[in-house]
Amino acid sequence: MAQISFEHVSKTYPGGKAAALTDFNLTIKDGEFLVLVGPSGCGKTTALRMIAGLEEISGGTLKINDRIANDLAPRDRDIAMVFQSYALYPHLTVADNIAFGLRVRGAKPDVIEKKVRETAELLELTEFLERKPARLSGGQRQRVAMGRALVRAPNAFLMDEPLSNLDARLRGQMRAEIARLQRLSAITTVYVTHDQVEAMTMGHRVAVMNRGTLQQLDTPRQLYDRPANMFVASFIGSPPINFMEGTLVAHQGGAALSCGPLLFPLGSHAQRLSAREGSKIIVGIRPEHLKVAPSGAGPGTLSARAAFVEDLGATLLLHLDQHGITIGHANMVDDDRDLMSIAPKLKALVDSAARVVRDDNVHLTVDPALILFFDPATGAAL
Amino acid sequence: MARVSTRRIVLERTTALVVTILFLLPVCWLISTAYKPSNQIFSVPPRLTFTPTLDQFRAAFALFDVAALVRSSVIISLGTTLLSLLLGVPAGYALARSRSRYSAGFAYFFLAIRMIPAVAALIPFYLMMRDIGLLGSWWAVIVFNTMLNCAFVTWMMFSYFKALPPDMEEAALTDGCTQMGAFWKVAVPAVRSGIIACALFCMMFSWNDFLHPMFLTTLDAKPISVALLTAYGTKDITWGTLGALAHFSTIPIVLMALVMNRYFVQGATNGVQ
Ligand SMILES: Nc1ncnc2c1ncn2[C@@H]1O[C@H](COP(=O)(O)OP(=O)(O)O)[C@@H](O)[C@H]1O
Ligand SMILES: [Mg+2]
Repeated sequence: MAQISFEHVSKTYPGGKAAALTDFNLTIKDGEFLVLVGPSGCGKTTALRMIAGLEEISGGTLKINDRIANDLAPRDRDIAMVFQSYALYPHLTVADNIAFGLRVRGAKPDVIEKKVRETAELLELTEFLERKPARLSGGQRQRVAMGRALVRAPNAFLMDEPLSNLDARLRGQMRAEIARLQRLSAITTVYVTHDQVEAMTMGHRVAVMNRGTLQQLDTPRQLYDRPANMFVASFIGSPPINFMEGTLVAHQGGAALSCGPLLFPLGSHAQRLSAREGSKIIVGIRPEHLKVAPSGAGPGTLSARAAFVEDLGATLLLHLDQHGITIGHANMVDDDRDLMSIAPKLKALVDSAARVVRDDNVHLTVDPALILFFDPATGAAL
Repeated sequence: MARVSTRRIVLERTTALVVTILFLLPVCWLISTAYKPSNQIFSVPPRLTFTPTLDQFRAAFALFDVAALVRSSVIISLGTTLLSLLLGVPAGYALARSRSRYSAGFAYFFLAIRMIPAVAALIPFYLMMRDIGLLGSWWAVIVFNTMLNCAFVTWMMFSYFKALPPDMEEAALTDGCTQMGAFWKVAVPAVRSGIIACALFCMMFSWNDFLHPMFLTTLDAKPISVALLTAYGTKDITWGTLGALAHFSTIPIVLMALVMNRYFVQGATNGVQ
């Protein structure tokens, strides 16, 4: 059982251009399943390896159970880590791989045997116990790596993208399995991923990171409903959120949003945003919040031509040409820089019953309560 | 498609066969001299049929203390191999895991040691050994050969450990090992094939080494390589006797290569992924 906290932690790799972590603050509660998510290169692995004691801390303090752990050797932390590469010991059988940590810590042979057997049963590895890792499939190796961690009942589990080397179906299955095992053992778990689906479905709380800083720490629900800034808004949710430029104007007593030819009444947001009247603002609308309007064009209705329609079965993903509205790029993630050259389209995820086909003109509405607002200068949510 | 690859296989096998025969021919010649009566060894044209005799072996055993020679060879090669591995494997590991940007430079420096002409080092080494009273013993050769081989082993093991991702050792650390434990229990077994290759190399080198023991050993520490090459022309030693003696120099190394080779192949195919 352990509570782990980062206090103003920073990391600069020797020879590294930018800092891998800057002023990182995060407290992982005892028994919690915390997911660290962010685009690749944002410092997730670095943070995780610091907890394990495998990476030197350049500044700040790391505490495990309120004890400063900056210089504690990995073996004195009693933490188990599942590596992205699995890092199985190639010269040992599955049974010996799982038993390794117990043996090193001097457990009794009969205890070891019993625990290995139990763990193997839990992970359905019993029939492979005598095999070497080279003769296992990817999914089996992944389970051995899990078993090696589970068998020890450590202070905390650390997992670095444990599912990224599996195919999609197995990934979905293991996702649920890992979450189940964690709830079962109630051992503090830090799970690193760049996959927002894993982040949303597995953790009690999710820490979103970008460029070595913590963007937001919250429950999955809150991240989706109340993102702290444009980065979080665009990183969480698929397909990604639409950003548009707009101006707040006075309208029939309350504030309204003017967005090109559109005029949205702001409803419940009006009071909060009234101080910003007359200034520019970034509007975020999730594709799934756009609905096909039953009654055609109107003041709160977007009219647009469907440039491209992706039929996803239950839903249709519409890529819309919307003239007169400046549409921002949803993803400011570094990986997606290539996409910047493509003119952004407004995306809408609508029920397939709408039967929209290419080149159709569609009218869309959105519940004003679901619209998100951001400061154009800082990107922070308003 | 299939026919092309069949033709290729035939070509490859034929080439391998020809090369093998070319290499084996002198060995067969040498071996056969040991079983020929002395008067037939240089008969022109060479005779393919002869009445085999063990006279040459009797002569060899009468003139040489074969057991002592073989024992010296074994002690010198095993000693060199063990010492070289004991120093070279940890050194290579340390260099491979070092965060210093000079580590690769160091590794190449060690390789350079292996490249210097041994004779250049032999004379000062001779004097040093004389001063500390080790001259003439097995130790003198073992230390000298270790100096050369351990530098090479360091460099070889540096590349092996460098190619080994550090994840497994890190897993061992989080599993509760010390740095030393992670090295012995995880890193060393993972590069077993490399270590065996190094061992084989050191063994061969020392076993066949003539120059260094020639300088550094006296009679009772003399290995078989020295005996073989210095014996001709002294006493009543004939080519036939040398051929017989050569058996004891060749057979152990061939056996060892066969045994080690099996481990070597096993080690190379044992890795994960
Ligand atoms: N050993 C290292 N040496 C130098 N830079 C590194 C090293 N490891 C990671 N980095 C850099 O630190 C940043 C964060 O890396 P990492 O923690 O691995 O990110 P993530 O796991 O989120 O993809 C990246 O910019 C990466 O290039
Ligand atoms: Mg990573």
